[in-house]
Amino acid sequence: MAEDLVLDTAIRDWVLVPLSVVMVLIGVLRYFVSKLMRSHQAPDLKVVKEGQVILRARNLRAAAGFIPAKSFRARKIYYTNEENGLLHVPKGQAQNAQAQMFSDPNLAMDMMKKNLSMIIPQTLTFAWVNFFFSGFVAAKIPFPLTHRFRGMLQNGIDLSTVDVSYVSSRSWYFLNLFGLRGLFSLILGEENAMDDTQRMMQMSGFGFDPTKSLGAEKDSIDIIQHDWALPKLEKRAEDVLKKLVK
Amino acid sequence: MAVEGDPRASANRSLGDAVDDLPIFNVDNLQSNIKSIYYSRTFLSIIGGAIAGIWGFTGLTGFIFYFIVMAVASLSLAAKAKFSVHAYFDSWSRILVDGIFGGLMSFVLFWTFAYDIVHIF
Repeated sequence: MAEDLVLDTAIRDWVLVPLSVVMVLIGVLRYFVSKLMRSHQAPDLKVVKEGQVILRARNLRAAAGFIPAKSFRARKIYYTNEENGLLHVPKGQAQNAQAQMFSDPNLAMDMMKKNLSMIIPQTLTFAWVNFFFSGFVAAKIPFPLTHRFRGMLQNGIDLSTVDVSYVSSRSWYFLNLFGLRGLFSLILGEENAMDDTQRMMQMSGFGFDPTKSLGAEKDSIDIIQHDWALPKLEKRAEDVLKKLVK
Repeated sequence: MAVEGDPRASANRSLGDAVDDLPIFNVDNLQSNIKSIYYSRTFLSIIGGAIAGIWGFTGLTGFIFYFIVMAVASLSLAAKAKFSVHAYFDSWSRILVDGIFGGLMSFVLFWTFAYDIVHIF
C-alpha cells in the first residue's frame, strides 16, 4: 500500500507551518511570562546555611589530598562529630524540615504556578489542534511504522488502507512538542528550554535536598581515605626540573 | 562549528595537570564545555534533519544519516579538544555519546518537515 498520495499544497500552508510557528511563539511567550511571574522568594536562612555547609564539606572531600593528615582529621571530626558536628542532623529534626517545606504556602504557590504555566498552554494548543485540524491527513513521516501505531497517529482519519506514514495533525503537534525543545534551548539561551519533566523533578527534589544530602555528605566524608599528595608533588617537581636541565 | 570555537578554546583546561593523580575539575569551565557540546549537537541535528528531508531520505537511511552526522560531530569535537579529552572533560562519554538521543527528536521533526515541504508538495 505504498502509493504516494499527493497532498494539497494548502495543507502545507495552512496547517503545518502555522502550527509550528504557533508553538514556537507560545514557547517564547511562556518563557517571558515565567520570567515576569517569578516571585522573588526570600531564601530561607536555614536552607542557605545547610547548602553552604554541604559545599564546604564537598570542597573538603575534593581537596583532601592537599592538606596534611592531621588537619584533615581535625576537619573531618568537626563535620561528622556525633554531638555537634555540622553534618549530623538528629532524626526528629530531619522530618520536621521536610514537612515544613511542603506546607510552606509560598513554596507551594510557586510550584503550582510553574506547573500551571507548563500545562495550560499545552492543553489549550492541543484542544485548538483537535478542534480545527482534525479529520484529514496532515503530513507524511519519512519512515515506516508498524500498524500498531495507526490508532495513535491517524486519529481523525477513518480509512484503514492508508499507509501508516500518513499522519494526522495531532501527531504533528506531538512531534513539534518534542522536537522544538532543542530549538528553544538554542534561541532562548541556556536552560530555559521547556523541559517540563526536568523542572518537575527539580521542584519535587527541592524539599528533600537539605536533609538527605547532609546524611550523604557525612557518609562520604567518613569513607574518604586521606592521600596526601605532597610526596608525589615533590617527585613530580624533580621530574620536571630534570627535563628542563637536560 | 565556528560558533563555539572561541569559548571552548578559552574555557579552559580543568586543573587536571596540577596534580597527577587527583584530577580536580573546575566546575564552571566543565559546565560551559558541556553546554557548548549540547548546543553544537542540537544545531547539527536540526540542520541534519533539514538536509535529510531535502535529499529525500526515507526510513532507515535517514536514521543512519543522523548517526553519521553525530559521529562526525563527535570526531570533530575530539579533534578540537586535541584528543586529550581529560583536559577538558571528565570522561570520554561526554564527548562521544552525550546528547545523541536528545537531538534525535529535533532531527525527526525537521526531517519530517523538510521532507513534506519538498516532496509531498
